[in-house]
Amino acid sequence: MATDTLVTISLPKEKQSALDRFLANGFPTNKWEEWKYTSLKSLNDTDWHWNTSEEASLDSILTLETACTLHTSNGKMTLEGLLPAGVAYLDFANFVHQNPDFAKVFAQRNPILDQNSLYDLNDALASSHQVIWVKKGVKVEFPILHTYFASVSISSAIQIKLLIYLEEGAQLTWIDDLASSVDSQAILSNYVQEIWVAKDAHLTFVKTQDFGQMTTHIDHTFISQQDHSVVDMFTFSLNGGLIRNNLHFYVDGQQVISNLNGLYVPGNDQLVDSHTVVDHRMPNSESNELYKGVLLGNSTGVFNGKIFVRPDAQKTNAFQSCKNVLASDKATMNTKPQLEIWADDVKCSHGTTTGQLSDEALFYMRSRGISEEAAKTLLMLAFVQQVIDKVEIPALKESISNRVVAKIQQALGV
Amino acid sequence: MLSIANLHARIGEKEILRGINLEVKAGEVHAIMGPNGSGKSTLASVLAGREDYEVTDGTVSFFGKDLLDLAPEARAAEGVFLAFQYPVEIPGVSTTNFMKSAVNEIRKYRGEEPLDAVQFLKMFKEKMAYVNIDQSLLSRSLNEGFSGGEKKRNEIFQMAVLAPKLAILDETDSGLDIDALRIVAEGVNKLKSPDNATIVVTHYQRLLDYIVPDFVHVLYKGRIVKSGTKELALELEEKGYDWIISALVD
Repeated sequence: MATDTLVTISLPKEKQSALDRFLANGFPTNKWEEWKYTSLKSLNDTDWHWNTSEEASLDSILTLETACTLHTSNGKMTLEGLLPAGVAYLDFANFVHQNPDFAKVFAQRNPILDQNSLYDLNDALASSHQVIWVKKGVKVEFPILHTYFASVSISSAIQIKLLIYLEEGAQLTWIDDLASSVDSQAILSNYVQEIWVAKDAHLTFVKTQDFGQMTTHIDHTFISQQDHSVVDMFTFSLNGGLIRNNLHFYVDGQQVISNLNGLYVPGNDQLVDSHTVVDHRMPNSESNELYKGVLLGNSTGVFNGKIFVRPDAQKTNAFQSCKNVLASDKATMNTKPQLEIWADDVKCSHGTTTGQLSDEALFYMRSRGISEEAAKTLLMLAFVQQVIDKVEIPALKESISNRVVAKIQQALGV
Repeated sequence: MLSIANLHARIGEKEILRGINLEVKAGEVHAIMGPNGSGKSTLASVLAGREDYEVTDGTVSFFGKDLLDLAPEARAAEGVFLAFQYPVEIPGVSTTNFMKSAVNEIRKYRGEEPLDAVQFLKMFKEKMAYVNIDQSLLSRSLNEGFSGGEKKRNEIFQMAVLAPKLAILDETDSGLDIDALRIVAEGVNKLKSPDNATIVVTHYQRLLDYIVPDFVHVLYKGRIVKSGTKELALELEEKGYDWIISALVD
């Protein structure tokens, strides 16, 4: 078994106990309720290299005006360019040393782990644990780009952990450009991000995931928000063998706005699983969730959207929508909205739909001279455009749109 | 231009067209009239290539080509245009983007260079005048939330842009008030030329006050049972369809 080699690893006490927790559970299988459609059992068949020293480098395909770029290549992180004033990049131990109060907050964090054994695995073995720290009132003008790239010649697990900390009134646009080489050997990319957004702070976070077929990417993005903070989150799952996104919002303040936008276009032999949690723990906040999927070939999609409205969270507005188009009769979509509401004065709504392209619309377009493939491409792009259009960076919007079109055209054989 | 011979078509087990014969020449306007359920819209749909219908017999030749053998998009590229009775709403696709795709796909089919943004702008401006349509309508999602009149005007705008050789107007008058009807009809009339032809499918005579036909055909139970000139339409308006139907030996 792949995990056999883990038993021999010796770690400091805390990391060792995380590893022990992982070993006790192993990789999730479809017998686990939260992994019903997304078994990772087959990861057991690969002899993973747990600590790769292979080099990998690739320039981001994005051409954007950025403040600076953080590169992660096969789990090794380097900073390129100068950090904007008021932003620090440092390791976690150093950060805690400078913010002793945070150690307690961090220790008391209470993520909903939902049978997430890979969080423990990351906790034990992450090759780096870095922090991006935006100081009080600092408004970073240009986005900070994080290019995360993996390519290996021996099957390897790549695991990093990143903390993003926005102090009171800070503003940041963060772009996660996640990718792996199409001709890489198997990669288990296990990525944890823990994000703190303090009072009055505003984070825009755009995550693009564009991996090779041999990559299994498990993403854990846990965001904690304080009073009057805003987070606009985007997750674009464009390519990859298996992508599981665990996106959690912990609403720990009042008048908080949490926007969750997602788009996925899995193709042949690909699976995208979006597991989202919005945990309203305080009153008077608002969350808006909009997910759209186009499922190509024989792909599988999973959407599980949990919304908790705790007893104290009166006057919460929580909205959730997940809409899907099955572009082929071999594609499957599994949707499960889960609302648990303990407060009585709230507005919550949810809706999921899964359908096919309208024959009427296709005929209408073809009757005007548009080929069947072009008509389908136009309709599918139009279907997801609503999510792409919310991104306010034109070059990024265009890059995402082009990649979605290319993927659809490839699936249609254009 | 168009030659329909012994056309039979069905949907599921139900035979709807039962031997249509029709000749349309360049420069002509033909009206197809008939009571509900006579097969008027089916004929329009079969000519445009709607796949719900199965052609079981007969031929349709368009400038010598077997029209029935062509995909809907190829028919459009050859010069057939169907103005829909119920134009489809397409969220997220603007009329201008839709028309740009259509024009350039058709140009590709014909081996012509695609038009660029400037050329489109010029053409759209010119065609918008035909149907008195506003730019803001063309930037909105196609037909989404349009009124009945706006939808039909949009159809005629599309027709103006594509400049078909054969335009088939399927119940274009349905859902239109008299002012909208006049605007739409004026657009159609402006687009008429000695080189193109129009088939107007309608239940009522009133559209024919504005788009004057050279020939009127009465469709009943999937066949053309009577043909005449525009006077026939006036007679139908006055006397209804019964006098024709009762004279038939089925």
